[in-house]
Amino acid sequence: MSMAAPPRKAWTPSQIILTLLGTAVSVVFLAPFAWALFTSLKSETEAVAVPPHWLPQDWTGQAWTALFETGNITNWFVNSLVVSVCVTSVVLLVSALAGYGFARTEFRGKSVLMAVVMAGLMISPAVLGVPLFTTVQQMGMVDTYWGMILPQCAPAAMVYILYKFFQGIPRELEEAAFIDGAGRWRVFFTIVVPLARPSLAAVGIFTFIASWNNFLWPYMVTNNPDLMTMPNGIATVMNSYGIQWAQLMAGGLMAGLPLIIVFVFFQRQIVAGVAHTGLAGQ
Amino acid sequence: MGRPGLNRRQLLATLGGLGVAGSFGFAALGTGADALASNARTRVRYWNLFSGGDGANMIAMLDAFRKANPAIEVKDSTLQWGNPFYTKLAMAAAGNRAPDLGVMHMGRVTGFSPGRLLDAWDVDLLAKYGVHKRDFNPQLWNRGVIDGKLYALPLDVHVQLCFYRKDVLKKAGLLGDDGRIVPVTSADEWFDVLKEARKATKKGLQTIGFWHNDQNFQWWFFVAFYTQLGGTWFDAAGAEVTFDTDKAVQVLEFLRRHLTDGYANPGFGGQAGAEQFVNGAPFVWEGNWSVPVFDSAKIDYGAVPLPPVFGRQATHAESHAFVLPHQADRGGAANEGAHRLAAHIVRHAQQWAAGGHIPAYTPTLSTPAYQKLNPQSEYVSAMDHQATEPKVWFAGSTGILAQRVGPVVVSSTMGSARPEAVARRMRSELTTLLAMKNPMDGRTAAQGGTAA
Amino acid sequence: MTTAETVLAPPRAKTAADSATLRRRRGFQHGGWFVAPFLVLFALFVIWPLLRGVYLSFTDANITGDGESFVGLDNYREALKDPLMWDALGHSAYFTLLVVPCITVLAFLLAMLAHHIERGKWLWRLCFFAPFLLPSTVAGNLWQWLFNPGTGMINYVFGIDTPWLTDKSYAMLAIVITTLWWTVGFSFLLYLAALQSIPDHLYEAAKLDGANAWHRMVHITLPMLRNITGLVIALQILASLQVFDQAVVMLDFGPGPENSTRTFVQYTLEEGFTSYRVGYASAISIIFFVIIAAVALARMWLLRNREEAAR
Repeated sequence: MSMAAPPRKAWTPSQIILTLLGTAVSVVFLAPFAWALFTSLKSETEAVAVPPHWLPQDWTGQAWTALFETGNITNWFVNSLVVSVCVTSVVLLVSALAGYGFARTEFRGKSVLMAVVMAGLMISPAVLGVPLFTTVQQMGMVDTYWGMILPQCAPAAMVYILYKFFQGIPRELEEAAFIDGAGRWRVFFTIVVPLARPSLAAVGIFTFIASWNNFLWPYMVTNNPDLMTMPNGIATVMNSYGIQWAQLMAGGLMAGLPLIIVFVFFQRQIVAGVAHTGLAGQ
Repeated sequence: MGRPGLNRRQLLATLGGLGVAGSFGFAALGTGADALASNARTRVRYWNLFSGGDGANMIAMLDAFRKANPAIEVKDSTLQWGNPFYTKLAMAAAGNRAPDLGVMHMGRVTGFSPGRLLDAWDVDLLAKYGVHKRDFNPQLWNRGVIDGKLYALPLDVHVQLCFYRKDVLKKAGLLGDDGRIVPVTSADEWFDVLKEARKATKKGLQTIGFWHNDQNFQWWFFVAFYTQLGGTWFDAAGAEVTFDTDKAVQVLEFLRRHLTDGYANPGFGGQAGAEQFVNGAPFVWEGNWSVPVFDSAKIDYGAVPLPPVFGRQATHAESHAFVLPHQADRGGAANEGAHRLAAHIVRHAQQWAAGGHIPAYTPTLSTPAYQKLNPQSEYVSAMDHQATEPKVWFAGSTGILAQRVGPVVVSSTMGSARPEAVARRMRSELTTLLAMKNPMDGRTAAQGGTAA
Repeated sequence: MTTAETVLAPPRAKTAADSATLRRRRGFQHGGWFVAPFLVLFALFVIWPLLRGVYLSFTDANITGDGESFVGLDNYREALKDPLMWDALGHSAYFTLLVVPCITVLAFLLAMLAHHIERGKWLWRLCFFAPFLLPSTVAGNLWQWLFNPGTGMINYVFGIDTPWLTDKSYAMLAIVITTLWWTVGFSFLLYLAALQSIPDHLYEAAKLDGANAWHRMVHITLPMLRNITGLVIALQILASLQVFDQAVVMLDFGPGPENSTRTFVQYTLEEGFTSYRVGYASAISIIFFVIIAAVALARMWLLRNREEAAR
């Protein structure tokens, strides 16, 4: 377009075909979002009109205002935020410490413990939900924030990822600091943690996404609609007027959009984070 | 170090730190934003399973209550009906986080461990708010009494009905002089009616919708027709299965025939049946809770109990009841509020009757306002011909029995299994269940007695 | 990087070499405190539930958590004869069998596409990955709405009349389609990262040798993606066997038409929380745990074999 612009890559025939193909596939991937958005902007009666049509004939925000008036959704949003922030910070702290501990320090029974933690990779609330519930029930934490938060705070996978990373840091850095008389904890927080920032970011991002979207465990452990998180509330608490698709779609968008918006702005970090955590399993 | 970038970073770090601290603080408070914001002196948490027309009526009744009792804040929550509701109610009670008031189906009370998951009603307190035993059908009231204590306060009786479009049936010549559907007394007559009705039906609409792929409705319909045939489930001691597979086959073949003869379209089994009815399909079998839906659609319709095709009247019936989910420290203002709220709703059931339900509080039935309701007056006789599930711990709305046997009935209706095989399968499921121990007390149905 | 500079500077005082070695060694000792916080949480919420599950599986415990009694192997005996459990296991396995190959192939194709289009890389990445950021229940609700008879877009767009969620032959398929759309983005990102890490010089060398695009893919790309494919398949198998969220949301927490979509996780929760039979639910959970562990161990065994073979 502009002559001053740096030379752009050429539109070779293969590039044109690939781009067209990419566009077509993207449309398929995005169409459900568009359908949800348009549905949320229809009246409830128009939403269930037969046959369906894409664009609202009468654009209305009634589903969105109704959503906020009934009040639950804002509660759930706050709950989701509280739970995800708490889980992410606890996981970061605890798994960074543990990853470092396993990678760099010596103590009795380390290898046995490491093996046990690795075996923990096979356990999830999906596999052992019922016994986990009874455990939390024994602790009196059913229907509490802690009951939702703490069981999400022991992810063996994150420890493993950070363990792998800390193993890769040259030992000499810490050794020199020790010789200078720095304490273990100071070395950890002033030397090791700053070096690990990208890995910690990856773990943090992944944990936040997983926790924000977590359904199964909050579903098991919360019954009080006041305490539910977004995914749980949307699925189990009904509007007293029955299924209202426009409102349901509006609520779904509200639960899903924050992460998608964050993704648009922090795409590089998130992609690196997800790829990093995923690839660590190799 | 005064670079703006660093300042921004510090700001972000501070904000992040505050956010994290705030989250932990909020989690430590542990009550949720709504309860924090509430400043009413008494807060009654009330869980129900009413959606659709029932939900709207319940909200209207709650609003009336709120107006009359401004000191009590009612926090009502509607949970998805069926499994999620009973799961959440049981788990909340087991975890000692139960709401102050809940709603259940009568049939589920026996298996819901009264005394452990449910607290008994304070009958004197109820009397103070105007609810007395004498105002209820004694049989219904006693279904909620276990070991001499009242655990379930009945709100209504609800039944399965045959809804019909008067405009379509009139065209088909199926309306009597009183403007009501001609009486049907046998299966052949019923299919003749369907055949005539089909001729008067618009293209693209099925003749009858009866939730043919829904495991709950199919089970309820089965119970109704099996009862019409005089079929039984277990002997009085609950020790032996008396299920009659021949009678069951008769019922299953009857249900199946709606599809094989093309009166019901397999694609319009669920909610679509009601939508088709609104659009002009002549029949739909639905619960009485569909009355407000059809009223608001402004169609000309009537409703009768399920046709007595096997010679004897009987239609499936259940009952909603108020319960007090177990709280270790039950008592005090919230508990009184729960009693007051339940009593208020039971006594002001006129609005509830608009939802098609037959109010349990009998003084309501004799009011002129109730007798004017249509089609409620057309099917009120269903009260006297109730077909209910057997009285065992595993029965009740969406209970284990319905979950195990319902899908089996559907497989016959939808044609993926032969009625004979399905009847045998039902019998074997019943045998298994009878031998199963109630997880709440470790006793089988026979050991625990069948008393409800 | 001021800290790094000081650290890398040569130690000035060599006089106290011995005490320095001592300090250094002590720095790495007694790391128990580092792992302690994690281990406490891990013990409470992973190990203890596992042990408790094993214990409960030998009892007739109910949901109230009081007064269970020992019943020996009864629960396991019942489980082995329980047709609903086998059905549920079959449904989870069937789901896995459908999802894993589809998602692997689709993720690979999408990654190839996004990798080779030169413009707007971020956009393709966004489009393919965005669904993964939705909560499972939102994805489930959305597709339940898309599959809805009469008012749903799928039947309308394709001009068909398929009873997706009400017929037993389609219900599981609908869940699979939803899952593909929702989760393919994750595997896609893994493939994309792997593609980007293949060094360019391999391709350039091949080009010089006159290899065409097809040869380059078969002889360079695919072999270089072997490890990542193994990882994607393993992660997908483990995740798919544990399917629950979208399946129950799309079918309103029911078992699907004629019990056709009840998954294993769903069955354990139904037995535990709906039928209140915590003892029995624990027993089938333990059975499930053994299956999952077997799959995970099989993968480790395969990996080790391959490493040994490569040596």
